Amino acid sequence: MEWFAKRLGISVLLVWIVASIVFLAIHLVPGDPAELLLSQGGAAPDPAIVEDLRDQLGLNRPVLEQYLHSMANLLRGDLGNSLMDGAPIAGEIATRLPRTLELIGAAALISVLIGVSTGTLAAVAAGGPFDRVASALAGLGLSVPVFVIGTLAILGFAQTLRWVPAGGFVAFSQDPVQHLIMLAMPAGTIAVGLSSTLFRVTRSAVLEVTMRDHVRTARSKGLSFRRILTRHILRNALIPVVTVLALNLGTLLGGTVLVEYVFNWPGLSGLLVDAVNARDYPAVVGVVLVISILFVTLNFVVDMLYAVLDPRVRHG
Amino acid sequence: MSECLIRGEGMSRSFHGGGFFRRGRSIQAVSDVSISLSRGEAVGLVGESGSGKSTIGRLMLGLMPLSGGRILFDGDDLAVLDEKRRGALRRRMQMVFQDPYSSLDPRRTVGSQVEDGLSIHGIVPRGERGARVAELLAQVGLEPHHAARTPHQFSGGQRQRVAIARALATNPDFLVADEPVSALDVSVQAQVMALLADLRSRLGLAMLFISHDLPVVRHLCDRVVVLYLGRVMEEGPVSEVLRAPHHPYTRALLSAAPSLHAESRRERVVLRGEPPSPANPPSGCVFRTRCPHAIEACAAQPPPLEPREAPGHRVACIRHDIG
Amino acid sequence: MRRLPWVSAGAVGLIILAAVLAPHIGLADPVGMDVAHRLAGPSPTHPLGQDEYGRDVLSRLLWGARTSLGIAFAAAAISCVIGTILGVVGGYVRGIAELLTVRSMDVVLCFPPLLLALLVVTLLGPGASTLVPVLVIVYLPSFTRVAYAGVLSVRGHEYVTAMKVLGAGRLRIMTRTILPNIAGPILVQFSLAAASAVVLESGLSFLGLGVVPPAPSWGLMIGAARGTMVQAPLLLLWPCLALTVTILAMNALCDGLRDMLDPHPAARRVSWFSRFRRRAPTAPLARVEPDTVLDVRGLSVAIGDPAEGRYAVRDVSFQVKAGETLAIVGESGSGKSLMSLSAIGMAPAGVEVAAGTSGMDGADLLALAPGELRKLLGDRIAMIFQDPGSSLNPVHRVGAQIAEAIRAHRPVSAAEARERAVAMLRNVGIPDPERRARAYPHELSGGMRQRVMIAMAIANGPRLLIADEPTTALDVTIQAQVLDLLAALKRDGGLALLFITHSLPVVAEIADRVAVMYAGEILEEGPTAEIFAKPRHPYTAALLRSAPQDDGPAPEGISGTVPVPGDLPAGCVFAPRCDKRIEICDETRPSLFRIGPGRSSRCLRWASL
Repeated sequence: MEWFAKRLGISVLLVWIVASIVFLAIHLVPGDPAELLLSQGGAAPDPAIVEDLRDQLGLNRPVLEQYLHSMANLLRGDLGNSLMDGAPIAGEIATRLPRTLELIGAAALISVLIGVSTGTLAAVAAGGPFDRVASALAGLGLSVPVFVIGTLAILGFAQTLRWVPAGGFVAFSQDPVQHLIMLAMPAGTIAVGLSSTLFRVTRSAVLEVTMRDHVRTARSKGLSFRRILTRHILRNALIPVVTVLALNLGTLLGGTVLVEYVFNWPGLSGLLVDAVNARDYPAVVGVVLVISILFVTLNFVVDMLYAVLDPRVRHG
Repeated sequence: MSECLIRGEGMSRSFHGGGFFRRGRSIQAVSDVSISLSRGEAVGLVGESGSGKSTIGRLMLGLMPLSGGRILFDGDDLAVLDEKRRGALRRRMQMVFQDPYSSLDPRRTVGSQVEDGLSIHGIVPRGERGARVAELLAQVGLEPHHAARTPHQFSGGQRQRVAIARALATNPDFLVADEPVSALDVSVQAQVMALLADLRSRLGLAMLFISHDLPVVRHLCDRVVVLYLGRVMEEGPVSEVLRAPHHPYTRALLSAAPSLHAESRRERVVLRGEPPSPANPPSGCVFRTRCPHAIEACAAQPPPLEPREAPGHRVACIRHDIG
Repeated sequence: MRRLPWVSAGAVGLIILAAVLAPHIGLADPVGMDVAHRLAGPSPTHPLGQDEYGRDVLSRLLWGARTSLGIAFAAAAISCVIGTILGVVGGYVRGIAELLTVRSMDVVLCFPPLLLALLVVTLLGPGASTLVPVLVIVYLPSFTRVAYAGVLSVRGHEYVTAMKVLGAGRLRIMTRTILPNIAGPILVQFSLAAASAVVLESGLSFLGLGVVPPAPSWGLMIGAARGTMVQAPLLLLWPCLALTVTILAMNALCDGLRDMLDPHPAARRVSWFSRFRRRAPTAPLARVEPDTVLDVRGLSVAIGDPAEGRYAVRDVSFQVKAGETLAIVGESGSGKSLMSLSAIGMAPAGVEVAAGTSGMDGADLLALAPGELRKLLGDRIAMIFQDPGSSLNPVHRVGAQIAEAIRAHRPVSAAEARERAVAMLRNVGIPDPERRARAYPHELSGGMRQRVMIAMAIANGPRLLIADEPTTALDVTIQAQVLDLLAALKRDGGLALLFITHSLPVVAEIADRVAVMYAGEILEEGPTAEIFAKPRHPYTAALLRSAPQDDGPAPEGISGTVPVPGDLPAGCVFAPRCDKRIEICDETRPSLFRIGPGRSSRCLRWASL
């Protein structure tokens, strides 16, 4: 429990640091954010408008006051208003976040199912034809950037074969089947890279664990092959698999942004890309904050998983 | 023995557990240990894992700071010396390690590693270093052409010879040998021991020989110090301690070591249980929890090291009646 | 170490060359528009066609490589240098430096890389001048961590302490000792980061937030071609192909480098699982006395394919009787562990039993079907190993591991197996067994773990216990306890004990008979007391003279080294190191001579010793 509390504390601390850094980044950047925002197309903005915006954003107040103010707002769940349409950013994020989470969840589920099972099979038959083909495919899967897969999938499955729509979104409550069909391509696209990663780490972890002394002990006890594989090899091999999963969470979230863009999936990334293009910095800050918090939370969940899998971690 | 070369007085060392911000439990690795060596003298430091024997070796080389006590080298206190004088003293004290696979840099030739000591201290002019390296290798029974090889081309015993040559490069007066033969096969052990004995007598080295095995130190050392949980249990001339061990722990250690001649062996004393954690040592005598002769008084206070009949033989045990 | 991966290195080299040479090989202007020929197909002047503004696709691809690789390599190189310095300083100096360098990187890691890049782009605006610093920040933590982890592992090696003892300064140790030893992982990280930076750069450009048009970039080209993918799919395929091939080559180079630097490459190649399918041809068994538990005859074991002739064990025969301890004694490289594992059908991966039988109860263990062998292992044959720390599964409670061994062979309920496990722990002298049964292996001391191993081994009342250096990792007072425990088990249960060790005093302590192994052969065998009193092989005699004792003369060593399998002397394997050698010893490999009741020697001169 002490360990749990400590990890939780660290996660909260990290969230606070992230929020502070995002705040500081805005204020440490050379030049005035308000001027920067308005100076599109190279023309110098009207000083009066800049002053208005500065007031509106509270940039005229002392930095410390702004910082405390924004942290207080953050605690209340208030991320400010968009510069584009003046709508509250938190509300916009609240509608879009579940869609992004759904995409990540679906992709992770597909990847774990495919990656771990094929990785184990390849390790059991290491050097055989299945292992070679699967390893080569995984090597390829790791090498194609996610937006290339997405774009080519649209070209192939949507434009040429016309099996699925090129992208978009239908709410689950409206049409569950269509919702899942539209989810399949983006989730599958993300899963290509992630399942390749999981395949590789599962394969090498299983091979590595089989060479450990305790597997020899398990054999000397006369256990069945299945029991050695599940209880003494896979159970231990999952520890490095979870570690690698954690290391790839960042890539997964980044990949999600690109995939949502490619498939017009109305998650957080559409908001983010539009906001970056429009230099709507409260919106960018809001989305980056939310995704970073999501990232820290996922890492925390992985840590918990890690502790469940490895008793040595719990005892420090 | 003649003049004293290095003297550790009341050395203590504690380690703090935990991370950067957390101050965890402190572990007393070495408590109030005094050891002195004269020129040309070899002292065996014997104990099991957790006895603090390696820590003492590193303390006496100045590789880690003391928590208490002081170390005098040729009369100079190591702790108060300035950087420059300490650098000069570095040259005079060297070390040979336990694991010959870990103690040599796998990426550099053994010649360049033996040469390090020469170049760091500028002992030999650059042009003559090659010849000196060959000389050093010859001294430990290796050939000059071995200098160009990397460590993985050598067996464990040969690596240990290289490590000894490296230590000898700076012409040290004091050598700490930390379990130098424990990782070697028994047929190789004897050769390395013989080499160390030969170098010690030829070069007049003072040698602190750390080992977990009492019989191993018998032929190399003049005196032996027996440690348990960071404290000295017994010390004295090797022959005396081996012939007539006084401390119950020394006896147990000797009788626990298997002997080739099972019929002539001493009566076996098998100790109960396991050594207590150094983070939470027992009160009084630290050995009392496993001692077959422990009485109530043993828990009262740590027993002082008291002299016994033979000169230099001292024992930390209040049970004089069992001697 | 394996060789450099030439194919992938060559491919990466070619791509880099193309990028470097792009301005000098007479390509069309990559930004020169020709709207009249927009989306034109391949032609002699435009081998890959023209894009939506009529620009030459080939030229844009090669110039795009220049942009992508230039940005990626610049960013990877800068973060490599800075990260390595931070990691080395943080790892070697520790203390506050560690906090400033390494821990501060954890903060950067709170941001997913693409998000961090987007945040910076928002603040600084897009373009190559933003991309490089963004990518440097993104990859800095990984280099710092790799260097830091490398330093932490290297600084634990005694050669770093040795440099300190020699009086080397911090700078010298960091640059001359630590840096060369962590260069491998950093090189791998560099190629990883460069490949990943190419992906990230093209991703950002694809979103329109990286390289600014009209400058050529693969990501931009893919993004732009999306709009016309139905009319001109090739326009989309070319940059996708270029990007994929580049990443593929870089990843392959990365894997190749990693394999090259892997200290144990061979071990990864052999599938351990094939062990579950293998069985040797059946051979007739010799008749044995009724109380013989294990009867091994003519056992030869090869490393790799037997046809290659690298035999680690040659023609080994021995018997173990009920209630008897046979010690196999030998130095490292003698093949004693390999021999005993192979004798009960547990040869490790990469090792083949080439000849021999191993009889137990009328069956040949080497010819049994895997399922049949499994019924014997853990039931009638049990093993304990040298390192009790690694021999227990760290993720299961020790009680459960013992109960599992019971349930594999006895039809008992889980609860009953658990009770029996506790009883076994009590039998081997573990105090408070109910509580200890619920402990994980790392919560127990080395001596306790070895007792757990023993409890697990004897849980089903085996007839044969193979103990492979069971006390080597233990302190001498704990070793005495474990040896006493094993002796008591043997005495009470009529167990046959095959005890493998390198220590002659331990043999004297525990064994009734001893077989001395050297370079894969048994050189001498017989009752322990007789052999120790009167060895009939020069190797045994030399080994006895090497052992340190608490009385008697100083130990003598044996000069020379043990020969390796595949490079054995033509005659007696011990001849090159033997002080009793005569000419014929170098020519004929002696067989094992019966020299008395229960005694044999492989020395031609046994009679004259």
